[in-house]
Amino acid sequence: MKLRKVSAIVILIVAVVLVATAVGSVHIPLMEVLGILTSKMPGLSAFVHRDWSKAREVIVLNVRLPRVLLALVVGGGLSVSGVLFQGSLRNPLADPFIIGVSAGASLGAATGLLFFIPQGLVGIGALPLFAFVGAMLATWTVSRLGKQRGRLEPTSLILAGVAVSAVLTAIVSLLMVLRIQNLQDVYIWLMGSLSGRGWQHLAVATPYVAIGVVLALWLAKDLNVYLLGEEAAHSLGIDVQRLQSLVLIIGSLVAAACVSVSGVIGFVGLMVPHALRLIVGAEHRRLILHSIWVGAVFLLVTDTLARTALSPTELPVGIITACVGGPFFIFLMKRGSGYYGR
Amino acid sequence: MVDKIRLEGVSYSYERESVLKNINLRLQPSRFYGIVGPNGAGKSTLLKLMDAYLKPQQGIVFLNDRSLATYSLSDLAREIAMVPQHSHYFPFTVEEMVLLGRTPFYTRLGKPSEADLEIAKEVMEVTGIRHLAHRLVSDLSGGERQRATLARAFAQRTGVLLLDEPTTHLDLEYQINTCRLLKDRVEEGVTVVAVLHDLNLVASFCDHVFVLDKGNLITEGVPTKVFTPDLIEEVFHVSIARLHHPVSGRPIIVP
Repeated sequence: MKLRKVSAIVILIVAVVLVATAVGSVHIPLMEVLGILTSKMPGLSAFVHRDWSKAREVIVLNVRLPRVLLALVVGGGLSVSGVLFQGSLRNPLADPFIIGVSAGASLGAATGLLFFIPQGLVGIGALPLFAFVGAMLATWTVSRLGKQRGRLEPTSLILAGVAVSAVLTAIVSLLMVLRIQNLQDVYIWLMGSLSGRGWQHLAVATPYVAIGVVLALWLAKDLNVYLLGEEAAHSLGIDVQRLQSLVLIIGSLVAAACVSVSGVIGFVGLMVPHALRLIVGAEHRRLILHSIWVGAVFLLVTDTLARTALSPTELPVGIITACVGGPFFIFLMKRGSGYYGR
Repeated sequence: MVDKIRLEGVSYSYERESVLKNINLRLQPSRFYGIVGPNGAGKSTLLKLMDAYLKPQQGIVFLNDRSLATYSLSDLAREIAMVPQHSHYFPFTVEEMVLLGRTPFYTRLGKPSEADLEIAKEVMEVTGIRHLAHRLVSDLSGGERQRATLARAFAQRTGVLLLDEPTTHLDLEYQINTCRLLKDRVEEGVTVVAVLHDLNLVASFCDHVFVLDKGNLITEGVPTKVFTPDLIEEVFHVSIARLHHPVSGRPIIVP
């Protein structure tokens, strides 16, 4: 990407972050947000004139900023994970949850919320761990089942993912029917939300997403070749089996980390990479780089809408991602140039 | 002369079903080889064994007198290019797709060099798709895609070119064009091996043909000698008439 493009993107992200931090049930003027943020930067704090209340500082630094940053991380992470799954399964309908990550995370979270957290066995802070373990167990099971003659086979993987997800989702429903207390917590978690997330959630998800992005870029060239098909990729020097396993592991780790802190936020991981592919093409390095910032900004904007549209009531962000993303996606599809895999 | 590729006692089976039985053959540089046989004869499997996509359960495949198993995948990619039967087409531009053929020659985080771009231009010129360079492969016609796929394989600049039914789904003009392009590679010293269904194309273009049936190598040799009515009837279960081309004298097979 050219320097001018990169600077434009960075300016856009900073602007969206500032606006998103300013708006909410308590409106904080942009200049004040800027003041609060710069007052925390080493070397710059001396230049800031403090004339805001402590309460507003707490809102900006402890409530809104971590949530805003988490939206960026989760949005970027889900999009990159979507690129990896669509690429490695060569399927435009693949999303980060196609091989059971969301169903596994849901069962993990539901188990935690229904059995462990009410009993005080663990704190609510352990919830991401439950979701993460659930997600990884489900992915592991699906990838074992998706092997045919010792090779990972995209179609069997997808079918195994559907079957395992169906069973796990049914178990979650069963648990919800049998244990009514904490039902609302489970329900809200299942719909996906960034509400009430703080710095500790950011600390859980960020390392996985960061490492995932670096590895995804590292594998970008191989993924390009892999799009030609397995035999062609082999003849261009790619160890197809190794690539598939690596990509599934990386994609699942990133998706699981995102889901564990935000619940199941649909549509971002499916739509952002797919839409971008129609705009910037299938070349993976470009696709991954654009997916990171577009996914990040998309989720931040939709999450901001989710908490301000019907303020003080908060909508689950998944409702907004689908309402905004769906029509846009249909528009791109109907425009029709270069449709994936035709 | 050193064989470019040599198979010694090669057998392959999927699960328990034996697909190729004790195949011995030798391929020389600068020759155009055809592989023919009915469906299920083991033609594609034979090709996949030659580029190590499949590994034989018995026997050894040699490349340049060295066992194929001792080559790394990236070394193999500089020696053998493969045009598979089925290709996937994604929204790459034609130029991007052709440049994928150069990926074995630059590093993971690197970019195609000037020389790579030059080679891409050259092979697009040769295959007649230079004017399509910035079009998306997914928007092209079947014949244009096939030429882009060929260009991608040519861009690898390998000494061996394997092709699995490169002319299927193409109209007559493109079939002939494809074979002419392959013949040009042969003139440059490349060993070309193609699975072909059209015996007349084989008779017109190939220097040597291998006839497979039920996993066995039935016979091999110059197409004019090999394609006798008796052999065709035995292998393909159809009776044919054999005419001679009025100009070239090559055999023409008519059912």
